[in-house]
Amino acid sequence: MHITRNPTRNFYRPIIGFLAATSAALLLYAIWLCLHNISLMSTKGTQFIGLSNFVRLATDWRGVQALGRTALFVLLATSIEVVLGIAIAMFLDQDFRGKKIVRAVILVPMIMTPVIAGLTWRFLFNAQSGMINYWLSLVGIAPVDWLGNPSVALYAVLIADIWQWTPFVVLLAMATLETIPKDLVEAARMDGASEIRVIWHIILPMLRRTLGVAALIRAIDSVKAFDLFYIMTKGGPALSTETQNLYGYTVAFTNFDISYAMTIALFLTIVTNVALLVLTRFAMPKGIR
Amino acid sequence: MFKAGSISRRVFTSVAVLAAVTTQTGVAVAQEKPFTGQRLSVLMVGHPTTDAVRKALPDFTAATGIDVDLEVVPEADSVPKMMLEFSAGSGRYDVVEASSIHVQGFVGSKYIVPLDDIATKYGQFYDKTDFVPAYLKPNVVEGKLYGLPLFGESSFLMYRKDLFEQYGIAVPKTFDEIETAAKTVKEKSNGEIVGITMRGQQGIQGVYIWASYLWGMGGSFLTADGKSALDTPEATKALETFAHVLREYGPVGVANMGWEENRLLFQQGKAAMTLDATVNGAFNEDPAVSTVAGKIGYAPVPVQTTTPKGGSSSLAVFNLHVASDSQQQEAAWLFVSWATSKQQQIHSLETDPNSGVTSIAAMNSEAFNKRYGAFKEAMLASLANGNPQYIPTVPQANELVNNAGIAVSKVLAGTTTAADALKEANELNNAALSR
Repeated sequence: MHITRNPTRNFYRPIIGFLAATSAALLLYAIWLCLHNISLMSTKGTQFIGLSNFVRLATDWRGVQALGRTALFVLLATSIEVVLGIAIAMFLDQDFRGKKIVRAVILVPMIMTPVIAGLTWRFLFNAQSGMINYWLSLVGIAPVDWLGNPSVALYAVLIADIWQWTPFVVLLAMATLETIPKDLVEAARMDGASEIRVIWHIILPMLRRTLGVAALIRAIDSVKAFDLFYIMTKGGPALSTETQNLYGYTVAFTNFDISYAMTIALFLTIVTNVALLVLTRFAMPKGIR
Repeated sequence: MFKAGSISRRVFTSVAVLAAVTTQTGVAVAQEKPFTGQRLSVLMVGHPTTDAVRKALPDFTAATGIDVDLEVVPEADSVPKMMLEFSAGSGRYDVVEASSIHVQGFVGSKYIVPLDDIATKYGQFYDKTDFVPAYLKPNVVEGKLYGLPLFGESSFLMYRKDLFEQYGIAVPKTFDEIETAAKTVKEKSNGEIVGITMRGQQGIQGVYIWASYLWGMGGSFLTADGKSALDTPEATKALETFAHVLREYGPVGVANMGWEENRLLFQQGKAAMTLDATVNGAFNEDPAVSTVAGKIGYAPVPVQTTTPKGGSSSLAVFNLHVASDSQQQEAAWLFVSWATSKQQQIHSLETDPNSGVTSIAAMNSEAFNKRYGAFKEAMLASLANGNPQYIPTVPQANELVNNAGIAVSKVLAGTTTAADALKEANELNNAALSR
């Protein structure tokens, strides 16, 4: 049957139409905002200022640096979480006592409220009385200024993010691992394949799609990461943890410069979309595209 | 004659009083609760004062017949929340609580209304003369009253009396003396005790404390003609001194320390000095949360120069305002004047650790002296010197603080020199001011 004659069109078309109209309206409003100079604290009226906000963003060193930090964070968070996630999932795929308990416990970080997770890590990383520096002192390592040293702070937040979101990858990978036919793996082992070859030639190819999806979701989430940064460092010290997302927030809700904040957000959306398109086009297995 | 005259006068007075009372009762019956049944929506900042107001709300409802829906959010979230509602013209809140630094911006954008006319009409809770003048002043813009102060605080230097005595240190009066004292403590305690701890977190936290150095060394945020003044030698010296004392004699992790971390470190007896808000005194002197209660001395914020452009102690005031979009402005005014009335403020001392009262009567009350006597004198001295422009009050204030905060954070973290960091902040601030 030709698709236009499919009677279900009467159900899905209005919904798609409504969603499309909403997105279009919001996008148009966002663009309108970017072309004006709306500031909640300004006593001057709203004026049309053309592309000035975009010019300002292009020459804004703070925005450029923030974008670089976002890229670094996304790259590191996504890759480490995916690699670590597979490793843990494979480990948990064996049979051992208490497996169910371990599986339940490993999900705790993911379901924890980000604010609680952020505060917990902030206190763990506290340079004076934090648990981590205490443990380090037991093995004779001098206290590390985790959140107060600009060259360390971003990685401290990264550790918290990895702790919180690796379980997500574990969860997806475990679900897929359970669908891999055991006889396939056993047949390979009988033929004398080493464990490494089994993992490399059988298990990983089967996990490929899942991992592609997991990496995609984690990458998108990392671009949007906000709560951990806000709770743990607020972008400091010396701007060392200010991502593009956090910068946009500061411009909007500290400076109340709504138009410029929208410009930053729109720019980030465009960059993310382009990056993800390129990524899915070249790096993802066919099934996901 | 004298006696008779006196009697007749007394009789006359009684009759007059009786007449007055009767008339007033007549009026009162008609006017006592003219807003019965109205429901106010109030946005307030999480703070002991707010807790005290919340607990006393039934009294307000009993006295006026007005119901109150109170929404309490953290300080950092309150302004974005009310700004979104104000700019949308939603009328969501009748009364909002905000810091003085926002008054100019709110008035300029017509988000809040002048209250003089309503105050004359419904003055039953309002006593203008009872407010600490320095607290009331930021609410008056071009001669009109735009709000009433709910709580206020200044800043002062807190030091460990026992350690100062042990090491033979005099109370510092300049920032150089602070550094010398911090050095002595660190050396004589073999690094066990931190010389001085202050907030260093990027943003308002660090700027709020650094501003003491800025003003105390003769600098300022803005020039007389409203330009940024952060590229001056005074400002550079202030930032160098602030960062140096913290990097050399401050705690590890100071670059990410906010109010809470700083307060806890000092309460735990791990530091010999701190420079912070007067409200910290209430925490220091509470044996339930402090190991140093009774051992703390309080002194005014140091001044380095003989010709400061403004006081080096802060003056932070939180005020209640009536929103322009409110449909019940008279009832809203009654709430504002009741919450800030001397009766309610004196009552608040019974229910909460409210050392930031704005009422002179409450400040002189027995409860206040008993609880906060240890630092009352130093607090009043700081208030008298409190600088209403300590943090700029122009509409772009937040952005200026944000840019200055980045400079402070960079120098504290050691990534940039004070001169370069402040030059950058200065350019950004001038751009913000001209926008």
